[in-house]
Amino acid sequence: MNCNTAIERLSPYVDGELHGLRRILLVRHMRTCVLCAARMEELQRLRSRLRSELPRHRASAQLQVRVQSLIASSSSAGAPNRAAPRRPAPRWPWLAAGAIAGSAATLATLLVFNLVVSRIAAQDVVSEAVADHVQATLSQRLIEVASSDQHTVKPWFSARLDYSPPVQDLASEGFALVGGRLETLHGERVATLVYRHRLHMIDVFVRPLPAAAAKEPRSLRGFNVAHASGGGMDFLAVSDVNADVLGAFVARLAAGSSAR
Amino acid sequence: MLPRTRFEAEVLPHLNAGYNLARWLARDVHDADDVVQEACVRALRYIDSLRPGSARSWFLTIVRHAYYDWCKANRPAELVHDAQDLLETMADPMATVDAEPSALPKADACTLAEAVNSLSLPLREALVLRELEELSYKEIAHIQGVPIGTVMSRLARARASLQGRSRQIKICRESASGRV
Repeated sequence: MNCNTAIERLSPYVDGELHGLRRILLVRHMRTCVLCAARMEELQRLRSRLRSELPRHRASAQLQVRVQSLIASSSSAGAPNRAAPRRPAPRWPWLAAGAIAGSAATLATLLVFNLVVSRIAAQDVVSEAVADHVQATLSQRLIEVASSDQHTVKPWFSARLDYSPPVQDLASEGFALVGGRLETLHGERVATLVYRHRLHMIDVFVRPLPAAAAKEPRSLRGFNVAHASGGGMDFLAVSDVNADVLGAFVARLAAGSSAR
Repeated sequence: MLPRTRFEAEVLPHLNAGYNLARWLARDVHDADDVVQEACVRALRYIDSLRPGSARSWFLTIVRHAYYDWCKANRPAELVHDAQDLLETMADPMATVDAEPSALPKADACTLAEAVNSLSLPLREALVLRELEELSYKEIAHIQGVPIGTVMSRLARARASLQGRSRQIKICRESASGRV
């Protein structure tokens, strides 16, 4: 590989988007080419500067109020209309009337349909959570932020997610917080807390409510799965620890975070 | 489920992500507010087209469209770059890794944020989606409506251009801190 080709591929490489032979060839090239290795490091530095220096803008309280009033003014039939504070949408009364009539007729069907869909979605989430747990254990990638200090782990998540999960260390009760990592459940990034109970590792996936997840304790591929909610969050725990212990633990976590 | 219930449950958690994108695209607090509000109107209207689990990139796509429509009405000049970029990238996605003049940040960009703000629209957009929203190339390609190769080229060009300016940014910063 020559330097020109290597330079083209550095950017996707640092993004983790260069795969297969191209990646192998580039890595081999950088072992022998000091210049390209330095270019790669420079690119990494730029990336970490971008991530730490660029502001992540957040919706102002004023905008949130505007959005809330939009939601409030969207009719129950679903055609969001009129009262958007600064941007009146066109009025279609005939459409709204039709939508109300239509929705009354299909409401029952929809309810049943949603029930079925959410049940399927719940199974998906559980099997995804178990797969994540297994993969993380096998690849020894259980922990991205290693700390037993909740004041280290919580801000680590806050900086990476649009919600801040409650983080508790229950070492005194036999569940020591060892760290956390990000996982993807249903295409969403989810805070994952890692606990140790004797020789077992426990993953707790924490998401803002509402989440469609299995309510009953169950097991999958030999792993136990337990679920609880509290404090506006949904907790999904996966581990090879005993089902009763896991159920009690996740209930304790949920109760602890709603007590705050 | 009611549209507003779905909106509140699935879209609202991504309001900040949507606002962040709108703010980086529009580069103005009030314009970003208007764009996000319009995006929310559309999201409520088309909530039925939202597939479970894809709310984030679905909403970001809507925010982007809302911005481009807003741009057509208010800042048509901003969109000219897009056409140029499209022609270049269609001709040869990987041939334009070197920063071309139109992608160079302005000389008065003193901070990295200002340098990013002076990137052309498609480059700025790709960079923000990648570095701040941490989306994959595939997701960015979907949102921008271009092939993955174009995303790759846009990111490479954005970074090359920022690197070209980083020395100047450093000098700028030193002289600024010297003044204080």
